[in-house]
Amino acid sequence: MSTGVKNQLRVCALSVKYNIMREMLNKVTFLTNTCFMMLNNAAFIIQWLILFRLKGDIGGYTMREVMLLWGIACCSFGLSHLLFAGVFSLPELIIGGRLDPFLVQPKSVLLGVMTSSTRISAMGDLAYGVLVMCVFCFSVKRFLLFLLFTVTGAAIITAFALLMGSLCFWFVRGDVFGNYMVNAMVSFFTYPDGIFNGTARFLLYLVIPVGMAVWMPVHVMMEFDAGALFSVVGFAAGLSAVATAAFYRGLRRYASGNLMEARV
Amino acid sequence: MRKYIVIYRSVLMENLQYAASVAMGFVSYFIIIYIFLKLWNSMYAEPGSLIAGYGREQMIWYVMITEMIWFGARSGAVTRQATADIRGGNIAYQMNKPYHYALYILARYTGEWSVRLPMYFVLAVAMGLVMVGPLSGFGPFAALAAVVSILLGITINGVFKLCISLFSFWIEDTNPFQWLYDKLILVIGTIFPLEIFPRAMQPFLKLTPIYTVCYGPAKLTVDFTPEKFLEILGAQLLYLAVGLGAMFLVYGKGVKKLYVNGG
Repeated sequence: MSTGVKNQLRVCALSVKYNIMREMLNKVTFLTNTCFMMLNNAAFIIQWLILFRLKGDIGGYTMREVMLLWGIACCSFGLSHLLFAGVFSLPELIIGGRLDPFLVQPKSVLLGVMTSSTRISAMGDLAYGVLVMCVFCFSVKRFLLFLLFTVTGAAIITAFALLMGSLCFWFVRGDVFGNYMVNAMVSFFTYPDGIFNGTARFLLYLVIPVGMAVWMPVHVMMEFDAGALFSVVGFAAGLSAVATAAFYRGLRRYASGNLMEARV
Repeated sequence: MRKYIVIYRSVLMENLQYAASVAMGFVSYFIIIYIFLKLWNSMYAEPGSLIAGYGREQMIWYVMITEMIWFGARSGAVTRQATADIRGGNIAYQMNKPYHYALYILARYTGEWSVRLPMYFVLAVAMGLVMVGPLSGFGPFAALAAVVSILLGITINGVFKLCISLFSFWIEDTNPFQWLYDKLILVIGTIFPLEIFPRAMQPFLKLTPIYTVCYGPAKLTVDFTPEKFLEILGAQLLYLAVGLGAMFLVYGKGVKKLYVNGG
């Protein structure tokens, strides 16, 4: 690995570390945010317990698969928001012309933006995802796959948010459309793919990539399929490359807001 | 009272300017309803089957009404603004004004939902008619009862959310408590009628805000009876009285703790 890449990774790691340390300054707020986010997610167990009491199989999923779905969704969402929360604020930075501080740094602009903030409640999501996985369907092989799919899921969520956020370089109200697309992805995350069919299913696999982020990983974890695994990894890598290219292409159109502000 | 009407009108006029932004939220409503439509369709595999006494159309209309309340009552006044005022010290300026701060926030809240709710109402009715068709047995009395119940439910929701925000006098971040309240309403209240829960749990759930904020208005829309209307109306009035009492109590105790660092 070249020194440049090593330095870049070190800067990113330090940025994330200091973001987390800043958020943890107030211990009570940190703990309540983490614990309540876990409770917040756990509330949905009631919903599924009731639904499965009415019918044992929903869209081809049992309680175990739904919990696995929740595990991957929470961990992917948590990892993405813990490490790269800055990408979700990209539209505001572009519209407000506030990318200047990142442009003058002697490091990657994109990684600088992505690692510029963290959402501390994402710790609760991460912890909840791992807990659910271990309680409902633990096996060593499944856990290793779970870790891999957490990374690919986080990459897909981050890349999709980056792609949608980058629309603001071209469209004035691109932020509204982008936010709805990202929120739509999160809304579909925790429902079985079996209840959707036809065009909706196609759109949810390839346009709003819910299927590749969580549904296909659940299928692979329940019944191993090497082809599907490589499809997920390939899709995550491909989407990340496309989103990165879109960001740098759009960056050429960026206009500074000439805003004078102190970043502490 | 006139001063609160003036506040209400000014917020109403302000929010009317942003009606187009509110309409953009229709996408989220559409997505949620689409998901639940698909979910309940898979639950009602056999045509004509009943779940807890509700047919497929009734169940989907139930979700549409509760989600309409949920989206229509979204407000920055009772959550973000109240919390920011208390945490930032802005309340020190507002408590000296010739109005009660909590009622001022409620007037703003009412101004906000007065724009949002009718818009979501039109969307819910349009989507309901297209996706599931008209609701059988729905008449003018049911409509009147549902409107009264929805307005009371939304007001109760605002009062309770404001009560949670007022805890900012003691704790720095009330967001986690708002999440829990929202989840109680969203996960249990908006999706399932109370009859779906085990019989032993139903009396307990009737004591929670779910009964007055979500279940009551939606139940009266999909399955109206005069007896049920009187029962729900009584519960809502009682809940509103208790909620307002708690709100004044928490505010009264909270302002005594207030200290401002100048600036």
